[in-house]
Amino acid sequence: MAEPRLVQLAVDGRRRSGLAEPRLLLADFLRHELGLTGVHVACEQGGCGACLIRLDGRLALSCLVLAVQADGAAVETAEGLARNGELHPIQQAFRTKHGLQCGFCTPGLLLATRALLEADARPDEPTIRRHLSGNVCRCTGYTGIVAAVQEAARLVGEAAG
Amino acid sequence: MSRRFRYVGRGLPRVEDDRLLRGRVSFLDDVRLPGMLHVAFVRSPLAHAELRRVDTAAAAQLDGVTAVVTGADLPGELEIVTGSSRPEAGEWRRPLLARDRVRYVGEPVAAVAACSRYVAEDACELVAVEYEPLEPVVDAERALEPDATLLHERHGSNNFAHVEFEHGDVDAAFARAAHVFRKRFHFGRTHAAPLEARGGAADWSGDLTFWSSTQMPFLVRSMIARLYRLPETGVRVIVPAVGGGFGLKVHLYVEEAILPFLSRLVAAPVKWAEDRYEHLAASGHSKEVLCDLELATTDDGSFLGLRGRFLGDGGAHQGHPWSSLIDPLCAAAMLPGVYEVDAVAYEVDAAATNKCPSTAYRGVGWTSGQAAREALIDDAARTLGLDPIELRLRNCLPDGEPSVSATGCRYDGGSYRASLRRIRELVDYEGFRERQLRLRGQGRFVGIGFSPFVEQGGWAAQIAADQGFPGSGYLDSVCVTVEPDGSVTLATGLQSNGQGHETTLAQIAADGLGVRPEDVRVVQGDTATGAYSTGSWGSRTAVIAGGSILRAADDVRAKLLEIAAAELEAAAGDLQVEDGLVSVRGSPDRALSVASVAAAAYAGRVPSGLEPSLTSTRSYDPPATYSNACIACVVEVDAETGRTTVERLVAVEDCGTVVNPLVVDGQVAGAVAQGVGAILYEGLPYDADGQFLAGSLGEFLYPTAPELPDVEVDHLATPSPVTEGGIKGMGEGGLIGAPAAVVNAVADALEPFGVAIDRTPLRPCDILALIDSASAAATPATP
Amino acid sequence: MKPPPFDYVAARSVPDAIGLLADGGEDAKVLAGGQSLLPLLNMRLSRPSLLVDVNRIPELELVHVDGEVRLGATARQADVLASRAVRAALPLLTEALAHVGHAVTRSRGTIGGSLAHADPAAELPAVMLALEGAITATSPRGERTIGAEELISGPFATDLAPDELLTSVAVARQPERPFGFAELSRRHGDFALAGAVVLLEPARVVVFGVEGSATRRRDAEAALDDRADAGEVAELAARELDAVFDVHADGDYRRRVANVLVRRAVERARAVRG
Repeated sequence: MAEPRLVQLAVDGRRRSGLAEPRLLLADFLRHELGLTGVHVACEQGGCGACLIRLDGRLALSCLVLAVQADGAAVETAEGLARNGELHPIQQAFRTKHGLQCGFCTPGLLLATRALLEADARPDEPTIRRHLSGNVCRCTGYTGIVAAVQEAARLVGEAAG
Repeated sequence: MSRRFRYVGRGLPRVEDDRLLRGRVSFLDDVRLPGMLHVAFVRSPLAHAELRRVDTAAAAQLDGVTAVVTGADLPGELEIVTGSSRPEAGEWRRPLLARDRVRYVGEPVAAVAACSRYVAEDACELVAVEYEPLEPVVDAERALEPDATLLHERHGSNNFAHVEFEHGDVDAAFARAAHVFRKRFHFGRTHAAPLEARGGAADWSGDLTFWSSTQMPFLVRSMIARLYRLPETGVRVIVPAVGGGFGLKVHLYVEEAILPFLSRLVAAPVKWAEDRYEHLAASGHSKEVLCDLELATTDDGSFLGLRGRFLGDGGAHQGHPWSSLIDPLCAAAMLPGVYEVDAVAYEVDAAATNKCPSTAYRGVGWTSGQAAREALIDDAARTLGLDPIELRLRNCLPDGEPSVSATGCRYDGGSYRASLRRIRELVDYEGFRERQLRLRGQGRFVGIGFSPFVEQGGWAAQIAADQGFPGSGYLDSVCVTVEPDGSVTLATGLQSNGQGHETTLAQIAADGLGVRPEDVRVVQGDTATGAYSTGSWGSRTAVIAGGSILRAADDVRAKLLEIAAAELEAAAGDLQVEDGLVSVRGSPDRALSVASVAAAAYAGRVPSGLEPSLTSTRSYDPPATYSNACIACVVEVDAETGRTTVERLVAVEDCGTVVNPLVVDGQVAGAVAQGVGAILYEGLPYDADGQFLAGSLGEFLYPTAPELPDVEVDHLATPSPVTEGGIKGMGEGGLIGAPAAVVNAVADALEPFGVAIDRTPLRPCDILALIDSASAAATPATP
Repeated sequence: MKPPPFDYVAARSVPDAIGLLADGGEDAKVLAGGQSLLPLLNMRLSRPSLLVDVNRIPELELVHVDGEVRLGATARQADVLASRAVRAALPLLTEALAHVGHAVTRSRGTIGGSLAHADPAAELPAVMLALEGAITATSPRGERTIGAEELISGPFATDLAPDELLTSVAVARQPERPFGFAELSRRHGDFALAGAVVLLEPARVVVFGVEGSATRRRDAEAALDDRADAGEVAELAARELDAVFDVHADGDYRRRVANVLVRRAVERARAVRG
């Protein structure tokens, strides 16, 4: 049962599959087996949020999920946010408000932001900061990120009419 | 020369953002090469020990393992040799794997190459190592005592260098002083901790291709070539996107340097991607300096003289290439800061200890010296009964005029006083003091701290000499080429690790040439296509890129105008280029696109005698230039628990000519956040046995969003009179200044208790201990 | 680091899970949310031979509120936090959950996982102790109910047998009962350096983050029932706490802060009561 087994899943809407021994982390499966570049590993203990994805509709730190657990699941990464090549309003907001510098924490932050805005369409600043407490950014000091999330809330709200 | 800037100065959104946001960017751990093997290291669990035996037999036999290498397997000449341009310093050597001794917890002892990182780690566990413990040296002062155990016997001392300096009659200044204030301040060990840890890859078959998460691709190329005795033409360094550097990635590490050897050995590409434990324990530590300061003043607080002794805790080896002087010597060189003090003396030592080697981190030792000096000044203000801003203004350099500090730093003029006054307005200082008093009546303790400073920009030969490292040389060049269709390639060896160079350098080139930024493509991250540079660190990119790009652009623009002049039948001197259009001044209908001028050039249709290639490679070794800024921090301290909340962070920044204000504000905010982290959250403790205690993110605490307020950034502008474009450079300032502001804010909050702060970091328990041990000058009113 | 090798199986039901645990022996471990177990595996601090994944057992996910609040072992912390019914029935639990980790860990972290992991600085074991939660566990020997106080036996140690699966926890509904919750952590979402849970009517005083496990401070409870002053209750609560130390704080500090937090929690509980 420690042998590699086939893992079949959907990633950003596409059917993908690969081999994984039980101990292979989902983060490593996505990056190294499937070649995705939108998932980053920075701590392997759930302490930084860089590896954040959505698994069957719920936020999940992919360094704390085994690839074999994702068999049959739907995984969404930040690579799936853009539609038809167009940046998602959250991505646009991060760009206009300088919410990223090196970009390493960014994919996780984008997904955390989407989850926040799905739960609370007009979060105030303390709510934004609290919700993002599991996403470490070393470059921005969070000022640009908070501005980006506020702008994203505005854009998403506008799009919803 | 005065230039009119059209794009420099504008907050253009960044070119690099699109692909970063889409997640379509490769960082080091995304590098995949056919047949690639993965590397892991066996690391010492002890701080100091003789290495008796390393038995790799079981590890080598594990399924999936290709090679296991120890120090004994490496040729003797594979050593990194670190010296310094300082004559007082020695030359310290380090083999790529520990040979007969280990000197810090985490030091690499063996390297494994296997089919996956998972299997490589399994193999590491099977390597049997025999250690014979030695007495660890974990205190810098102890390390310099005559009977201390030597870390490197061949040097006869644990001190890398002892440096002394004096300017003016310091003894006389102290003799005539009405007051002498003293302070011993231990600035604690910090970590740049970029979110993306270190990593490298090597593929050595014929030529050597080397991937590195580095801020200095060409220096890495030169160093690797020298190490392996290869011609530089036989080495190519590729840098994928870099997930933060902050100075940590401006070094050559043994773990990267060994990768070409491993690749040769296993006849395959090899990759090493560091994990967080390795990063925290064994990459590079920074800024730990024990500062002993003395400030001589007149009766009314005018500064007469400064003395400082700066003892760096340099760790077990020299960080290459900057050495362990980078923290204490820089702290000493900036001892006078923004103040007019003519009599200054300092002593610097750089002790080796059984800890992780010290490396450069954003602001290096300026951070440590700044915190010590500004805390001392606040102590002095309290004793003299003077307002802390008033005391600073009284001693501050006048605005605008260039001056040379007592330590030889050539300031090119700034808004030293104006920034202090401005910050006083922005924080509503009087209102704050009223609020502070009111809250004290309710048993609540808020405090404010100020930190004005200068920040060097453009570290190259002149700044290095200012900072105590004379005689070093730097070459930084860029190549500007107009392509056949009028688009522009800007090749550089500078390396973005978050600062947006693809945008800012394009802005400068656009103004230099007269095209639009979107027509300029910045090429970086590859020594095969870049131009030689010592890299991006030390707030140097904008100044150095600025100068070199403008010079190269001038060359190319001159040619464009010559060619266009012939086509337009006008004098080149009557032509202007703007947004890709060359036109006769005053006759806008007589115009040619840069694209058509380029087409002409590439088709050879140029005036006879004119060399048609539209390219120029130019370098820039800037004169010394210094930005200045002032940072203020407001905190509230819970006096029952020591827990401290940062309420407000304000920065007034003057970096002369700004290239992109969005980028500048982002740099300030990020650096200030790191400053808060260094004081209130992050820590790198070692125990008495040299055991490292912060090996995970549960111990080393990055500040996260709820711990910080918005960083408010205000701007003044004193363009440099000596650099190209008046650009001064910035980036480190927030981390040079913010720690001092936080320390002073905490001390100010706890002033009723009579607290004096003499060390960092300040955990809640440390703050409570400070309250306990301080003799209260006045008891706080309690409800 | 990467985990050491282990076997893995996804259980399809509670009996299936127990059978797998029994077959797996001492070194088989339950994998629930993974937010505590995976970090240990990734640091090679835990080396199970087999992981039994219980995430695909629907009956364990329940969040049921009527006369009592019954939470299945794999009820997600985020779901319980967001539940209006839980907030109405047990507002203390909702308040405490906001301190458990971060949004990105609560989405997978489970109620049962936190209880079974028994971290001394965790909020949920302390809250269940204060609320006198009843834990249900199943093994090949049948089902049993364990009081929260019996469940936790020490740091990261419970009374559960290796082949026993925690399946749910139940607490009596108490919407009006006054409570106070106070925690000191270095950053938002971090483990507590010290924490206090206080309930009135009857008095319950639990201190967590300070000793090897959360404990009820019975002398303090007696004083609280006797309407003693908050400072006195806090003194009694903090007395003789066998405090741990780590890089964040030593034992003296933790004891001292426990005193402050109990006092503040008592004040809050009394303020709620009016």
